[in-house]
Amino acid sequence: MSETYDFLFKFLVIGSAGAGKSCLLHQFIESKFKQDSNHTIGVEFGSRVVSVAGKTVKLQIWDTAGQERFRSVTRSYYRGAAGALLVYDITSRETYNALTNWLTDARTLASPNIIIILCGNKKDLDADREVTFLEASRFAQENELMFLETSALTGENVEEGFLKCARTILNKIDSGELDPERMGSGIQYGDASLRQLRQPRGAPAHIKQQCNC
Amino acid sequence: MERAMEQLNVQLSRLTRSLRRARTVELPEDNETAVYTLMPMVMADQHRSVSELLLNSKFDVNYAFGRVKRSLLHIAANCGSVECLILLLKRGANPNYQDISGCTPLHLAARNGQKKCMGRLLEYNADVNICNNEGLTAIHWLAVNGRTELLHDLVQHVTNVDVEDAMGQTALHVACQNGHKTTVLCLLDSGADINRPNVSGATPLYFACSHGQRDTAQILLSRAAKYLPDRNGVTPLDLCVQGGYGETCEILIQHHNRLFQTLIQMTQNDDLKESMLRQVLEHVSQQSDSQYQRTLTSLAEVATTNGHKLLSLSSSFEAQMKSLLRIVRIFCHVFRLGPSSPNNGNDMGYNGNKTPRSQVFKPMELLWHSLDEWLVLISSELDRNGRNPSSASSPSSEIASLLLKQREASDGAASTTSSSPADADSDAVDPPVVMETTEAYGDGEDVISMTSNRLSAVIQAFYMCCSCQMPPGMTSPRFIEFVCKHDEVLKCFVTRNPKIIFNHFHFLLECPELMSRFMFIIKGQPFKERCEWFYEHLLAGRPDNEMVHRPVNENDILLIHRDSVFRSSCEMVSKSTNEKLKQGIAVRFHGEEGMGQGVVREWFDVLSNEIINPDYGLFTQSADGTTFQPNSNSSVNPDHLNYFSFAGQVLGLALYHRQLVNIYFTRSFYKHILGIPVNYQDVASIDPEYAKNLQWILDNDISDLGLELTFSVETDVFGAMEEVPLKPGGTGILVTQDNKAEYVQLVTELRMTRAIQPQINAFLQGFHTYIPPSLIQLFDEYELELLLSGLPEIDVQDWKKNTEYTSGYDLQEPVVQWFWNVVESLTQEDRVLLLQFVTGSSRVPHGGFAYLMGGSGLQKFTIAAVPYTSNLLPTSSTCINMLKLPEYPSQEVLKDRLLVACHCGSYGYTMA
Repeated sequence: MSETYDFLFKFLVIGSAGAGKSCLLHQFIESKFKQDSNHTIGVEFGSRVVSVAGKTVKLQIWDTAGQERFRSVTRSYYRGAAGALLVYDITSRETYNALTNWLTDARTLASPNIIIILCGNKKDLDADREVTFLEASRFAQENELMFLETSALTGENVEEGFLKCARTILNKIDSGELDPERMGSGIQYGDASLRQLRQPRGAPAHIKQQCNC
Repeated sequence: MERAMEQLNVQLSRLTRSLRRARTVELPEDNETAVYTLMPMVMADQHRSVSELLLNSKFDVNYAFGRVKRSLLHIAANCGSVECLILLLKRGANPNYQDISGCTPLHLAARNGQKKCMGRLLEYNADVNICNNEGLTAIHWLAVNGRTELLHDLVQHVTNVDVEDAMGQTALHVACQNGHKTTVLCLLDSGADINRPNVSGATPLYFACSHGQRDTAQILLSRAAKYLPDRNGVTPLDLCVQGGYGETCEILIQHHNRLFQTLIQMTQNDDLKESMLRQVLEHVSQQSDSQYQRTLTSLAEVATTNGHKLLSLSSSFEAQMKSLLRIVRIFCHVFRLGPSSPNNGNDMGYNGNKTPRSQVFKPMELLWHSLDEWLVLISSELDRNGRNPSSASSPSSEIASLLLKQREASDGAASTTSSSPADADSDAVDPPVVMETTEAYGDGEDVISMTSNRLSAVIQAFYMCCSCQMPPGMTSPRFIEFVCKHDEVLKCFVTRNPKIIFNHFHFLLECPELMSRFMFIIKGQPFKERCEWFYEHLLAGRPDNEMVHRPVNENDILLIHRDSVFRSSCEMVSKSTNEKLKQGIAVRFHGEEGMGQGVVREWFDVLSNEIINPDYGLFTQSADGTTFQPNSNSSVNPDHLNYFSFAGQVLGLALYHRQLVNIYFTRSFYKHILGIPVNYQDVASIDPEYAKNLQWILDNDISDLGLELTFSVETDVFGAMEEVPLKPGGTGILVTQDNKAEYVQLVTELRMTRAIQPQINAFLQGFHTYIPPSLIQLFDEYELELLLSGLPEIDVQDWKKNTEYTSGYDLQEPVVQWFWNVVESLTQEDRVLLLQFVTGSSRVPHGGFAYLMGGSGLQKFTIAAVPYTSNLLPTSSTCINMLKLPEYPSQEVLKDRLLVACHCGSYGYTMA
């Protein structure tokens, strides 16, 4: 029957075209690199149930198109997101320069409490690097973002990026900074707490669950 | 001798005793016979007699008999014969004797609630823990039937109230499932395990929910029963929803608030029946105003998430579309119910209410916003494609993108640089240009074809939400505005994929203003699909369309007199209500038994014949003798307009119930029903000679002929010739070469329409009571004829026999042979289309093809040769029933071209 989780978080993946957003999501959900990736049209969707800090959390992830022509469509998905992965390509200064715009969008259109993690993708292409780690981490600090360099190709830090974001949200719920009952928080309770016993509780993070809800 | 006398005396006294008591007085020797003597006495608790009989007999009180091998003690316990029971026990009957199914007398006493018997059995040390073959003990039996009083007595003797049957069920399970409140309380007070799972992991709460036992679920929950799924993960809430048990769901939610969200999420589950979910949510929403708001707001949120998923191209279109529409349907249903408290009944928020009813739509605004943005996006894609289809930049960038794709494909596997398709360009070109090049990659055409279905389904959901806030029959201004705003994109969708209209654009049928925008696309769709759409909507919202069979109420039967079919039908129909007649028609002829579909069919048949009966003067025959149209002089009958309205009702009803009528109308009258303007060719059916004259005027230059026609006609009005102007001041306007077309149109309208306008209006008024004008518009006049009167039978042999050939063809000609082979192979529908194509009528005249009429008298079906050029279609001259058949090179080509011509012709596109 319906799947079990303690919380549901709504996540966004944003950033310029070609930064590797869809590949990040694909790697996170399928643990595979997506070879023949086309430009995303509009907004794609994925979900996975993960275990964070002893809680089962379902991540409902909206992967947006980076192309300018879809900008107004993708913006309409921002509202009520609890977390976002802001992605740029370390081999493309262009995608890095656009970060400020993406950040403004996210802060104004999504919930003001949105937790954002900055992901410098294509870490595997260090030879072609155009954005240094130091520079980006300074940017992250100034803008109160978490920061990671990731590789959708090798899978390095991909899981960590999503989980870090989820963990931060959980902490804020525990500390009372975030209220899941508030509308538009991007967080929902599941009914897992009502079901325990008998069922081996949502076995570790490696069971991938792709569902249609 | 003496012994003989003595024996006789004993027998005599036995006989008199027996006669006096009206029963046997001594038990037969063998147990089997004896037990059947005793059984009725035990059943009636005649303990004295039993006692007397048993006194001196050797009868074994534990003798088991019958199919189930019960003892008399079983019988006594079963029937509550307490005195006999005591007697038997005293005589040594075994209280723990088990019958063939393992039941003891105690089980039977418990099952049937024989309190005293149970008490006595317990005194005699009956074992309360014995299980029958299914593992049921006495306590289970008490629980099944809710015998709380007996249970109180029994539990004191029971060592384990949680004794399990073969399925691991305790008495508590059983009592919960059957909803026995006091029994459940008693068991719980006696220490029953409230969370005990049976073999499949089902708890008492699970059992209560599986049967919608609200009260026992309530007791369990208030005593802190845990909410546990069974071993398959099925939860109590799942069970409640499957069964549509709203009250029980409500109780679950009261105790476990988070189940509310789970319940809302369940609307996405395709396995659950929508009607059950709707029932449950309906109940939950009606608990309080705040619950109503909460239910709807949450549903709106789920709908929005689903809508967004549907717009996500990698999701399953079918599944997400169904899910979205289901949620929105449930949402609208619950919304329409209104909040539970009546004083807020229709408050849309204007009375200072802090949480206006319409507030619940708010979460969906996100989805509508995305929808709007999507359509704007597509509109700009269309513009861009339209603006520079031939400009140099477009093809080159397309090529560039193709190359890019190829490059990626070839080295994607080997090189690690392929993770970004854009990075090849990004270092070479300036930033804004990067965007340009990448944009061309996913090209506009693609986006449209990939998203149109999904967007259309969201539009359908949007329409549903808009209309549920409106009074029935009104289209929301917001929605109309929406369609107008995105007119171009929506038209582009349906032009590319007309199925969208039938699948998602139902709003068109409810809003004529919007319908007219899409009419030309709709008319181009196959007749069958339009038919399905027509009936789907005609019958949608019929109150009982889920019920298979409704018993006919005697009062609703239309009782028709055969000798006055017309009048009695008219009377019966006017007495009934439209709603009843829509639900179903039941007809009985006076003095006859018959009822059912056959009689209904006959009624329509007979009645339609009566409607055109010349005695009533309502309809007149046209020149061809088989079609009818309203009689312009019908006013001789003062009630004529009422009768026209009735005729319209009958036709409407027939169409509504898919019954055929036995009337064929003139082409022009079908056009009147459809609201299509008539043209001069339609005159041919009522006055072929005059039609020819009109045709002549059109075909020839009339400038120098001195016809001296004016825009007026002379008409016979009650015996006097009167000049009627065709337009204001028409008597003074000459018909010239320039305005002759207008003249022909006006004169046609006068003959065909103005003369019978009141009759047409009355007819339509009746017709539209059952068939909304917006729906009938889906068809053209040929199709309407098929819908009303059905497909005629066509005898191909007769057709072939009465066909003539001209301009080079004869029967031996291969092309002609092929033609007939093709006709033989056609479906009945296609044959009719062919006949319509050539003769303009779908009917074979009475008597067969030999009587086929042309513009002037008999005119046989004729096939004429035409030189073949590639792709040439057959044509026809309907007034002389001639098919102009090109000399096709093969039978296949002939068939193909012929069908194309018939299909297009019957849609009215290429009428010759």
